[in-house]
Amino acid sequence: MPVYEHTYRNYEGVFRHRFRWWIVVEQEFRVLARLRIFKFLVLLSSIQVLLRLVQIVAYDTIVQDPNHPMAAVLSRLEGITVKSSTFFDFINFQTPVMFIILLYAGAGMICNDFRNNLMEIYFSKPLRWHDYLLGKAATLILLGLSVTALPALLLIAEHVILLPSWELAREAVDMASASLLFSLVLVVPTALAVLACSSLLPGQNYAAITLFMLIIANSSMAGLLSQSLRARSYLGLSYPLAVMRLGQDFFGIRPAIFDMAWHWPFLLLAVTALICLLIVARRVRRAEIPA
Amino acid sequence: MALIEIDDLTVSYGGEPALNGVSLRIDEGALGLLGPNGAGKSTLIKTILGFLRPASGSVKVFDLPLPKSALLVRQRVGYMPERESTSPKISAVSFLTYCGRLFGMSMVDAMERTHEVLNYVGLGESRYRNMETYSTGMLQRVKLAQALIHDPKLLFLDEPTNGLDPDGRIEMLELIREIASQRGVTVILSSHLLPDVQHVCDRVAMLAKGRILSQGSIESLTGALERQYEVRVRDNDAAYAALLDGAGCVQRRMAPSDTLLVRVPAEMKEDAFFELARAAGTQVRHFRPARRSLETAFMEALGKETSDAGV
Repeated sequence: MPVYEHTYRNYEGVFRHRFRWWIVVEQEFRVLARLRIFKFLVLLSSIQVLLRLVQIVAYDTIVQDPNHPMAAVLSRLEGITVKSSTFFDFINFQTPVMFIILLYAGAGMICNDFRNNLMEIYFSKPLRWHDYLLGKAATLILLGLSVTALPALLLIAEHVILLPSWELAREAVDMASASLLFSLVLVVPTALAVLACSSLLPGQNYAAITLFMLIIANSSMAGLLSQSLRARSYLGLSYPLAVMRLGQDFFGIRPAIFDMAWHWPFLLLAVTALICLLIVARRVRRAEIPA
Repeated sequence: MALIEIDDLTVSYGGEPALNGVSLRIDEGALGLLGPNGAGKSTLIKTILGFLRPASGSVKVFDLPLPKSALLVRQRVGYMPERESTSPKISAVSFLTYCGRLFGMSMVDAMERTHEVLNYVGLGESRYRNMETYSTGMLQRVKLAQALIHDPKLLFLDEPTNGLDPDGRIEMLELIREIASQRGVTVILSSHLLPDVQHVCDRVAMLAKGRILSQGSIESLTGALERQYEVRVRDNDAAYAALLDGAGCVQRRMAPSDTLLVRVPAEMKEDAFFELARAAGTQVRHFRPARRSLETAFMEALGKETSDAGV
């Protein structure tokens, strides 16, 4: 009998309770994969990956080969050289699309469940609030890393494969860890901020606009402070610039706009992430245990 | 062993008691939780599910203490909430599969079970459509299906007929009655609609202002009224009523039917009804000892008068 014609029977299968949060992640990805705009955004994020792919192939196989007829032409092109900062630039340029993807995927993640009265249904099942929260956060973090760290690591791997040497392999390990760290400081606080806005506001549009405005307000405030106090280091209070500053530190790039010890931007991001986590944890916990 | 044992339970919202010293034993079968809005029915269900922490007293479900064993309890119970719930961007199949997965089913089991349950609740091919296109009745069916997905032994239904049209309401009640009577599932139905409870349940617990006012089987709560009968005659009912008056009976018409509710004097026998009908030139078409309605029992428990409280 086809499965869609079965009728009610007593369930005789087994229940396995491992990694309930992962079931939330799977479901979120399943829902997102059905959305056209999401697919478009993922495609958009892959444009730079393709360009970098071509750049690395060109640099490693043509520029590095002195006998190649195109080597002289290509080596004159600015930015063709593949070095540590190439991967920093790659992740940095991915930031806007990563931000849009996280906003699109995450702004409705919690508020829609509240609005559609799904919390009661979810928490009447053997699902705890922390599994729910971890599932939602993990979805956004994995999504963010999949357009930043993952392609960066693949590009580094491609670079090492095309130009194999012990020296480059050692350098690649540093570049890979820097890419991962930069992506994490970029993605984790952003994902938590998106979830915090989603848990506090009644709709996904409100959540997305609010977060966007908060970031603009934060950057403007940092700019104003820096101008009025005539100290460029205050630019480190800007969330995007703080992330960039940390990224430069991970990749060993000399800061161009302002110089500030790494621990200040790190503290700013850590405090932001912690506050967002507390907000979202409190809201979700109260959905499971209101009193 | 009772499925649910509640002992002197008090639950408060910000110091205001929503349940006040509730004690209740719930055995297998179908139990109706009756009470006006704000009586504490939903609070009681949420406490049994472990959502709310009791200020005092104890709750045990399947002999498991709450809220300590809330997860184990939730694994074995199904809950259909009162408010309309939907996941608009996905189909009922996808939503129910997810619910099954949350219970710990494998993907294959959850998918198979989803189709079984959706067939059972009567959601046909529309199961593949996004839920944003569903009517209220369809959403109620999905809510019921998600509560049944893991084959629970205990099912909580909070106002399951909310927002349904008369046909939909009857279908839903029939479905619930079938679950309670043939699937071996203990059903706890919370409603302020007395006919719904009477249709499905064999026992009721009446709540008001956070207290249990009365509990027992519907049979015992709606016991026979002493020396009172329902009687309906074919025609000439005015003449018949006059003869009943003459025989010392007190009577009134039961709204909205043409049936009379008659209290007879102590010495009057039941045969007299038929003799008086013959004398009035009519025939008795309906005759039975009058019983209290559930509404009467409920209103009496609330300490209120009703139009149906006998004569």
